[in-house]
Amino acid sequence: MEEKDQNQKRQEVRARLRYIKSLPILPPIASMLNKMVEDEEMTAVRLGAVIEKDQVLTSKLLKMVNSSFFGFPQRISTVSNAIVLLGFSVIKTLIVTSSIFDMMQSSDVGLWEHSLGCATVAGILARRRAIKNPEEVSTAGLIHDLGKVVIRAEFTKEYNEIQGMVETRRLSMMEAELECIGVAHPEIGGWLIKQWNLPDRLILPVLYHHNPEGSPEFRELSAIVHFSDILIRAIGFGSGGDLWVPPLDHQAWERIKMGKGEVKDLLNELDERIIELQDFTIQMQQTKVK
Amino acid sequence: MQSLPISLAAPGMVLAKAVKTEDGKVLCGPGVELTAELINRLSKSGIHVAIVKGHPIHMPDEKSLAELIKELEARFERVKDDPVLRALMRVIAEHMIEQSKM
Ligand SMILES: [Fe+2]
Ligand SMILES: [Fe+2]
Repeated sequence: MEEKDQNQKRQEVRARLRYIKSLPILPPIASMLNKMVEDEEMTAVRLGAVIEKDQVLTSKLLKMVNSSFFGFPQRISTVSNAIVLLGFSVIKTLIVTSSIFDMMQSSDVGLWEHSLGCATVAGILARRRAIKNPEEVSTAGLIHDLGKVVIRAEFTKEYNEIQGMVETRRLSMMEAELECIGVAHPEIGGWLIKQWNLPDRLILPVLYHHNPEGSPEFRELSAIVHFSDILIRAIGFGSGGDLWVPPLDHQAWERIKMGKGEVKDLLNELDERIIELQDFTIQMQQTKVK
Repeated sequence: MQSLPISLAAPGMVLAKAVKTEDGKVLCGPGVELTAELINRLSKSGIHVAIVKGHPIHMPDEKSLAELIKELEARFERVKDDPVLRALMRVIAEHMIEQSKM
């Protein structure tokens, strides 16, 4: 009985998400991008030129790619440069999520900081493990909890219930989500992201950030985002909706495990980056007020 | 290292990080000692914060080490039976203690 109930809730949630209304709409350019990339003649320079026609988007994009959560060593001054250096899927993700993150910066700074922090750790770990395109792993970290934004924006009543359950019954967000709507934020985030035709290297770590060994592919990337989420909560930067460090998947840990010395180095590097992230958040908020 | 609103930056403090504009252009490199004139110029260029060496100003909302460790333990409350995470908590606690001495 209970089981059927959960499944029913899950189906309802899925159906409602097809007609998502309350999330900010994609920038008009987003739908054009898909078509343009299919065109084989399209170069980063031409693509960049099209994006740069939108000045607001361009300035937001350049702020993001130059911010410390990517930790890219040189300054990136044009969109086409950004496409060449970080890859198109990173730039595309930043474009399609730009309005959502705008909203997050004003309505849920805790989650914004948590996302930035997770992205930062993921990038550091990806670089250390010599993974190609570490910025893509950062990007997966940045969007790993988008499902929470969807729940908050689209299921306001349920979101309040979930928060109440976290407070009074001391459930984790995940547990409360499952009980209340029958599906948790990784899956919801995955549904959303799949609509944007992003590569599996970005989608799978989001879907499996709480159970990375379930990932059909790219388990190392999922493991990195999984541990980055844990670490950023462990040091207490930002907020993931509840107070607690989520459980660690030990098989995933075996893939990426570190000794004490490595963890200490990581914490030292993170201290510096977090100071920069806080400044970045203040900057992003202040530009919006203007 | 401390991040200060530019209004609290004072001559004699030394930059720990480059001061950059929003789009990443470097205005002033790390290691530079602040002067009244420089601070003025930075704030006119729209800079809001400077990251300086050491910890020159005690902010009223700063938490004590004891408070920080207590919060750390609370965050680990639900995973304290996991040996890997326990070890992680210990390393973070050690790190906090080291930082507080600096
Ligand atoms: Fe999560
Ligand atoms: Fe998270």
